[in-house]
Amino acid sequence: MTGHSAVEWLAPASLDEACALRAERGDEATVLAGGSFLGILMNQGFVQPSALLSLGRVAELGTIDVHDGELRLGAMATHRAVERDATVRRDWPVLARGFGLVASPRVRNQATVGGVLADADYASDPPAVLAALDARAVLRSPRGERQVSIGELILGFYETCIEPDELLTEVRVPAAPDRAVYRKFRSRSTEDRPCVAVAAALGDGALRVVVGACAEVPQHYPDICALADGRTIDAALAREIAARYAERLRPLADARGSAEYRRRVVAVEVRRAVEEVSAA
Amino acid sequence: MSAIGIDPRVTGGQRYSVDAERPGMLHAAFVRSPHPHARVRSMDASALGDECVALLPDDVDDLHRYGCQVRDEHVLARVARHVGDIVAAVAAPTREAALAAARQVEVDYEELPAVYDPVDAVAPGAPLLHPQGADSAGEAVSIGVRPLAGTNVCHRFRLVHGDIAAGFAEADVVVQQAFRTPSAAHAPMEPHAAVAEWHDGRLTVWTGTQTPFNLRADLAVAFGIDEERVRIVGAPMGGSFGAKTFVRHEAPLAALARKAGRPVKVVLDRTEEFLTLNRHPSVIRVRLGARRDGTLVAKELDCWVDTGAYADCGPGVATKLGYAGVGPYRIPHVRVDSLAIYTNLPPNGAYRGYGAMQSIWASERTMDVLADRLGMSPLELRRANLLREGDVFATGEVMHDVQFERCLQAAADAVGYEEDRRGKGLCVLLKGMQTPSRAAIAVERTAVGYVIRTAACEMGQGMRRSLQLMGARMLACEPGQVEVPPPDTDVSPFDTRTTSSRTTHMMGRALEEAVRDLRSGDGERGYGEVRNEGGLDPDTGQGIASTHWHQGAAAAHVAVDEETGRLSIEHVHGVAYAGRVVNREGAELQNEGSMIMGLGTALFEAIEFADGQVANANLSDYNVPAIGDLPRRFTHEIVEREGAEVHGLGETVLPPVPAAIGNALYSLGIAVHELPISPERVLAAVDARAAAA
Repeated sequence: MTGHSAVEWLAPASLDEACALRAERGDEATVLAGGSFLGILMNQGFVQPSALLSLGRVAELGTIDVHDGELRLGAMATHRAVERDATVRRDWPVLARGFGLVASPRVRNQATVGGVLADADYASDPPAVLAALDARAVLRSPRGERQVSIGELILGFYETCIEPDELLTEVRVPAAPDRAVYRKFRSRSTEDRPCVAVAAALGDGALRVVVGACAEVPQHYPDICALADGRTIDAALAREIAARYAERLRPLADARGSAEYRRRVVAVEVRRAVEEVSAA
Repeated sequence: MSAIGIDPRVTGGQRYSVDAERPGMLHAAFVRSPHPHARVRSMDASALGDECVALLPDDVDDLHRYGCQVRDEHVLARVARHVGDIVAAVAAPTREAALAAARQVEVDYEELPAVYDPVDAVAPGAPLLHPQGADSAGEAVSIGVRPLAGTNVCHRFRLVHGDIAAGFAEADVVVQQAFRTPSAAHAPMEPHAAVAEWHDGRLTVWTGTQTPFNLRADLAVAFGIDEERVRIVGAPMGGSFGAKTFVRHEAPLAALARKAGRPVKVVLDRTEEFLTLNRHPSVIRVRLGARRDGTLVAKELDCWVDTGAYADCGPGVATKLGYAGVGPYRIPHVRVDSLAIYTNLPPNGAYRGYGAMQSIWASERTMDVLADRLGMSPLELRRANLLREGDVFATGEVMHDVQFERCLQAAADAVGYEEDRRGKGLCVLLKGMQTPSRAAIAVERTAVGYVIRTAACEMGQGMRRSLQLMGARMLACEPGQVEVPPPDTDVSPFDTRTTSSRTTHMMGRALEEAVRDLRSGDGERGYGEVRNEGGLDPDTGQGIASTHWHQGAAAAHVAVDEETGRLSIEHVHGVAYAGRVVNREGAELQNEGSMIMGLGTALFEAIEFADGQVANANLSDYNVPAIGDLPRRFTHEIVEREGAEVHGLGETVLPPVPAAIGNALYSLGIAVHELPISPERVLAAVDARAAAA
């Protein structure tokens, strides 16, 4: 436990103010969303920010709505809000499921959409689901606004493309594909992070399979997914896609499983996800 | 209970040791070794401000070594023997200031070679943790300790029953297998916390502890003062499970308060909890022989029990682990060799079950291996060999009020074991209670009812409620009229400690005597005391292990995803023998709590170490069971017998859960020998089965 008494507390009440403070202070002020991750890092002394830029009072960032068939999740929308939102449950049920499988209700009431992406923790559930749905993160700075895919956003362990003057303000999810599944494979408690996460989406005949929690960043291999282009996915094809994912992946090892074990599970779980997403 | 009947634990009204405050109090933080084994060369606290008080090695030169079973602990470690060993302490006006000051104490270490595995630690040439360890054995208080000079073995427990060589010569079938269990965290919600204060050469410590009188005795030893000059005031605990036993943070805290001349408080954080006291890792090798008809004839157990950097109660744990591993069976020839071994891990101590889980896992898994080799039902094999009324156990004790078969059959029936045993497993166990021990209690009449003075400790197990219920029945009043204040060694009569599920059993009997005394006297006050005598000879394992036995069983039904090794637990059923139930709701909650801890132990709880550093010292990386981890069916029962005495049951159905699940897997040909039963281990066992086929 570290002493927190010297931390400067910045709590803007509007998005414009938040963006201005972010641009002014850059990485010298650590952006605080729900705090479910940052709190652990601070308590364990891994980070000792001199200033915290809290987004907790920025009401504009907490919204969930739909524009032109595109889902817009405010960066401060909690996991629980996404999980329980009626529109999300009806039109993007896989997203409700993915966020709803994170940890416990206590954590989901705190953890946010923006936070989980900006943390870029390899073992979180939502990045793989969002990547399979081809979601884009909106990054805003005084220089303007840009949209990046999940693959562009997350660069490595706890590393993103977010510039020191940028804030992740929103996540935009295109109209849901015909079918999508999220399989969370846990090797320990039900409240644990995944050992292997597989999100798969199938829309307009295109398959997207993303494997999470096995490498620094979510793994999406478009060329392997393209094996399904123009074909009916049968058991043999599902098996082949899964085998190729397992073969190409360079899995990491942690307390949830060794690299070799993860490779075995990827071969199984990708196959199951592809079968599920392609089942009539 | 408050006037409107709402439990103060729910309203926030309950005061714990983390809430203790004294006027003028300072806050403490400990300086802990970052190295698993290192000599402190020098220390510099000159950077600390005037408002801080530092407790440095020279400040404790006049203090003595202490320890509940081996006096091998120092108030501050001049040689740090584990990561987190306390080498200095700092007091400051606020906790934040103390934590900041502790980081400013500069310590120069000379690193020493270290060892982290109990088998490695007894190999020739292993680094020695306590080169003079054997010297202190004579000072040990509560049990006969048998250190092996010049080694890391702080205690060797042996049990010899019959003639082991002759026994194996009689066997038609012999199976042998080694098993492993990892370290685990008690993970109570409330961390260790205490306030220490000196006044006129008298030390008072407010702390959450299961062992107030042991704490008093050990602190008196450390400070070289009479026990009467130490007062321990216990607070109800927000969980303990064995973690808050004997001297932990209290010794350096008391020394810091002495130096500061003011009361000092400490509250450990979660990371420190993982460095304070954990469960003993073990390696257990079982050899079991039977005749072709399934009659057991010989059993050998070799146990390597990792007690960490300090013995703590490791000798006792190695002893109990040793005899519990014999199991509730008639076996004419038995040899047990159980070693409590120092390693450079944080100390390991009492953990719900006190070593029983480790050896029951090994020994009950081996029973199913034997049944398989004999082509018998594991239930039949057990039934044919169970101890029955009047049988003699391997310790020489004659068994009474024997209920093993009832417990085992109830477990088997709950999962339909005899209809179809695929995917199902059983475990039956015997577990001892702290012996010898003494419990005393006083009852006094008050304006509204009675007050029961006892050193028994409330840690969520329902001790107060049980005493209120028993007291109300004996005194013919309402439970709400019976007050049970927390222990205070200045006013509470002596009690050995609140461990080993002994409180309801021992205190219930003492209370009967106290009420009898009150009735036969002036009706104003009564005193009752019970003793159970006994103990085992550490060299032969003969004597009285336990004056009453905890008896229980469990059954599990599992399904396996054989492609990933992931288990789904369809059903777990636990059975505990209670004799007579005192507090039914409390007894049921104890069973459920024990089984949930057993599930965590079985499926995923393990402290991960990397070169002596705890790699998962938080409750995100270390998983404890969540509500979603409960089996589809999660049931238990309490076996009673008309006219029986009250038996303890606070731990009984934790130890059988891992073995029942392991045996359920084994019924499918999946043999896992190491806890936890992770999907990865299951998949490796599925591969091994395929390779053998």
